[in-house]
Amino acid sequence: MAENKPRKVVQKRLPREVYSALKNVVGERWIYEQRSVVETYSKLSIEASTFLRKHEKDPHLLPACVVLPNSTEEIQAIVKICNRYRVPFIPFTNGQVFCAPTNAQPTLIIHLSRMNKILRIDTENLSATLQPYVDYGQLQAEAMKRGLWNGGCPLATSLCKLASQYSFAGLWQTDLKYGLLNRNIVSVKMVLPDGEILVTGSRCIPKAGDFWEYGPGPDLLGLQRAAAGTSGIVTEITVKLHTWVGDASFPEIPAGRPSLVDVHEPKYDSPPAPLKNHKLYWIEFKDFQSQIRAMREIAHAGIAIGLNATGVYSAFYCSQTQEMTIQRCRTKFFPDWNCYVILANITSDQQIPYEERVLRQIVEETGGIFLSETHKPEVLDALKPWNYDCIRHTTGFRMNRKMYANAWLPVGPLDSAFETTEQWKKALDLFGECDITDRGGADDTPFVYALQRGHFCFFETDNYPDPVLPEEIKKAQAFGIYGNAVFVTHNLGPMLMAFLNVEPLTTMFPEVGPNAHLLMRKLREVFDPNSVCAPGRQVFTEEEWRQFPEDIKAAVNKMRAMHNLPAVV
Amino acid sequence: MTYYEKKPEKKFFEKELVDYRDMVWGCARCNWCQNQWGWNVKSAEFSEICPAFHEFRIFPYSGMGKMHIARALLEGDFDYDDAPEMLDFIYTCTTCGACEMNCQRLQDKEPLKVNETLRAQFVRDGFGPKPEHKRLITGVQHYDNPWMQPRSQRDRWARTVPIKDLGREPAQTLFFVGCTAAFNNTLWKMAQSTAMILHEAGIDLGMFGKQEICCGSPIARIGDRETFFTIARRNIDLIHTSGVRQIITFCPGCYRSLKYDYPEVPGLPKLKPAVYHAAEYIAQLIDEERITCHNTVPLKVTWHDPCHLGRHCGIYEAPRRILRAIPGIELIEMERIKDQAWCCGGGGGARAAYPDFARATALKRIAEAQKTGAQALVTQCPFCEQNLMDALAQVQNGMQLFDLNELVIRASQKTKK
Ligand SMILES: Cc1cc2nc3c(=O)[nH]c(=O)nc-3n(C[C@H](O)[C@H](O)[C@H](O)COP(=O)(O)OP(=O)(O)OC[C@H]3O[C@@H](n4cnc5c(N)ncnc54)[C@H](O)[C@@H]3O)c2cc1C
Ligand code: SF4
Ligand code: SF4
Repeated sequence: MAENKPRKVVQKRLPREVYSALKNVVGERWIYEQRSVVETYSKLSIEASTFLRKHEKDPHLLPACVVLPNSTEEIQAIVKICNRYRVPFIPFTNGQVFCAPTNAQPTLIIHLSRMNKILRIDTENLSATLQPYVDYGQLQAEAMKRGLWNGGCPLATSLCKLASQYSFAGLWQTDLKYGLLNRNIVSVKMVLPDGEILVTGSRCIPKAGDFWEYGPGPDLLGLQRAAAGTSGIVTEITVKLHTWVGDASFPEIPAGRPSLVDVHEPKYDSPPAPLKNHKLYWIEFKDFQSQIRAMREIAHAGIAIGLNATGVYSAFYCSQTQEMTIQRCRTKFFPDWNCYVILANITSDQQIPYEERVLRQIVEETGGIFLSETHKPEVLDALKPWNYDCIRHTTGFRMNRKMYANAWLPVGPLDSAFETTEQWKKALDLFGECDITDRGGADDTPFVYALQRGHFCFFETDNYPDPVLPEEIKKAQAFGIYGNAVFVTHNLGPMLMAFLNVEPLTTMFPEVGPNAHLLMRKLREVFDPNSVCAPGRQVFTEEEWRQFPEDIKAAVNKMRAMHNLPAVV
Repeated sequence: MTYYEKKPEKKFFEKELVDYRDMVWGCARCNWCQNQWGWNVKSAEFSEICPAFHEFRIFPYSGMGKMHIARALLEGDFDYDDAPEMLDFIYTCTTCGACEMNCQRLQDKEPLKVNETLRAQFVRDGFGPKPEHKRLITGVQHYDNPWMQPRSQRDRWARTVPIKDLGREPAQTLFFVGCTAAFNNTLWKMAQSTAMILHEAGIDLGMFGKQEICCGSPIARIGDRETFFTIARRNIDLIHTSGVRQIITFCPGCYRSLKYDYPEVPGLPKLKPAVYHAAEYIAQLIDEERITCHNTVPLKVTWHDPCHLGRHCGIYEAPRRILRAIPGIELIEMERIKDQAWCCGGGGGARAAYPDFARATALKRIAEAQKTGAQALVTQCPFCEQNLMDALAQVQNGMQLFDLNELVIRASQKTKK
């Protein structure tokens, strides 16, 4: 009887001459193609399709080789080799999203983990120049010592690298005042897909220095913005810095959590409040309408540095275990309709008192009520993890304890919150939920980020299946496809497709519109003639198309038809 | 095993990879297993926490990488023949527990336990451990100590110290010395000063002397569960036969083993006497004024939290309380301390199999210590001391290294008039 052994997953190899050429660039120590190494560059944090393909033992998810360059020049040499031999490559930092190979050709991973230096903090021109593996936590720690900071940090945690955030998203809880990362860039140095080096901003003018994001003529600062690594590799990024009015470092929180004894005591998650010169307010509303009305008023009043609604996310971020999260969702521990506001004394000590008065007026007018010592003190206490996280995010990833497999991430004016909720409820009725947390955004507020002084907002609702149950993951995937079809048909504005990289809905953050794929296609033709830079991402390759399941192909063609694009066959 | 399926009540040393299936599939790739917890980052230079990832820069060395390797092995995506290199990834880990600390805090997952379970599977299947580790195991099996030293030498450190031999006379308190300090004469001072302090405080102290056997900690960490179970059972029998009421040890490895690992071994009787680490016991004696630190020790020091004492067992404050009780000592903290401390590089079998990596890791700790402006690095773990001592000998930067109890002796000794 034949032995019932599981099927192995075998990686492809690079041709030997390519391998030797790469080894000559980085040296023997920094090139790897062993089976267990490539495995660790293949499974991602999120993306339903990647997980399903892992369950199906799809070998194309495995890269052929990993190299770790240490300079722009080494990256340039690697990229030139890739062009010469037509080898696809993908820039890789932490690997949270969008960096596993997606096609059948042997693919090279360019892991940037050795390029982790802060090259400069310019206290006169208020900027910092970073290598691509520098993260928000590192930058903030160094900048804060100099009374500066970069203006925010994504929920995806302070470990995100600024270079990859520029290439992907860059959305912060303090976007209200400071805008997205994309609006905080002074210059980038990139190796383009064909190996040319691009420098943007005033820095490209000899001796001009790195102080201004524009050059004298047309510029390509936005080339990599939200392009998910498809238009080159950022090797240096200069970001703006702003005044930091808090202390030079974060106050000490209770450390000393024994890992063997009691690991989940809330006290180790409860940093003191408030940060110096900052104040965080939590407000509860009686219904969704008054919450959105209040948020609009607050944004338009020109006060605050951050304004967001958290919904189910508080149950994740502020609960030390998944069981606690579920329990709090069941008992509706956190208010359904809420928002938080961060005030700061940036211009004077009187700024917070003044803005607080305005805030109180708006809250009164909209029937809101502040969480306080007298109103739900236990809830206010449980929300303490946000005390630092509203500035330097670490606990954001708790929503990923099981699996964060699909997200609807539409962008639009504040009122689109209602539409998001309506559509999400319909999807829940249609497909059913993976877990009670999927109801976040249906029975309570979706996550709302007020961006750019509240002119538009970003909403979020998600599915959380069990990663070992493919059927549940498929459900989450269906939500994704359905959601995009709905948003396109209802002309509801751009939607981030973090979890479903299928044209034409590969649009990223507000910086790009629903037709971004058209631009991406053109950019690829010009900048990546050999189609080697993260192929299959943003605009897919024929090979990748062939691998899509039939139902996804059908859904994609339906969406293409809506955009007057010919069907893909 | 799915996320909400009720897990069978299993002790850690009974668990197999399949018991972690939901965890390894669910690794969120958040990368907190490689970095200082966000709130604690004080500088870019000292913002990382996994010594193995820090040195080698590729993911299989991190907690996350081990989760990915475990997932693929579990699902049969590859096996030992396809990936012999993974032996190095799995064993180049100091078991410092930083990954587990941060992962548990954020994601409720256990990358270090997954790694130790991988090691156990490797040993069971004959794929591991490394040859250097096999020698440690043989040492314990044949000599009752990993260093293959003759049993007759085990109590040499005690020739000048007032301590009972439990083989000859009973005592209330067992001083569990541990193999490393007992056999390495450069570390004898650790055992001697601890015994002296306890004696001065009037503790009725005894040792097993030549009869003492390894606690089994290195063997447990390497993954030889069978040998560890035998050792644990022998130790429990020996301790129970001796009739002691409490056990004190200064070795964090022994402490963790006796206190936390033995109860995780299936089918073993519960160890009856209470187990204390010397730091917590001596801090208490100082509080009760049974030890008085009356001599001034003018020294700027910084405290290195041994991983097995701090992160693993939660003892962070006791050594700091002791240092603060010594007149003249100025304690200046490093950036990475307590549950976010940087490992010395010496644990988990890393020093035995990867000495260069162990030294490089220790050098990074010394650089961090030096930045504080302290004159001396103080700690209390024979593995840390050995490893840091070697690294200090290499850099020769003038920094001194003390065992905590050496300073307590200096401070509490009655001066001869
Ligand atoms: C739970 C969760 C919450 C999230 N919340 C937020 C949020 O609040 N705000 C937000 O903005 N984002 C959020 N994201 C998305 C996340 O921030 C981005 O994926 C982020 O950029 C990841 O950083 P990373 O360093 O892991 O990049 P990776 O995942 O490694 O890379 C991201 C993309 O950038 C490309 N890339 C990486 N480095 C470079 C480079 N040097 N040059 C060119 N391309 C490069 C990669 O190929 C990939 O396509 C969230 C993600 C998760 C999983
Ligand atoms: S901290 Fe845990 S969940 Fe996060 S990457 Fe590491 S092992 Fe995975
Ligand atoms: S135990 Fe320490 S050395 Fe080992 S993987 Fe975890 S953080 Fe790295």
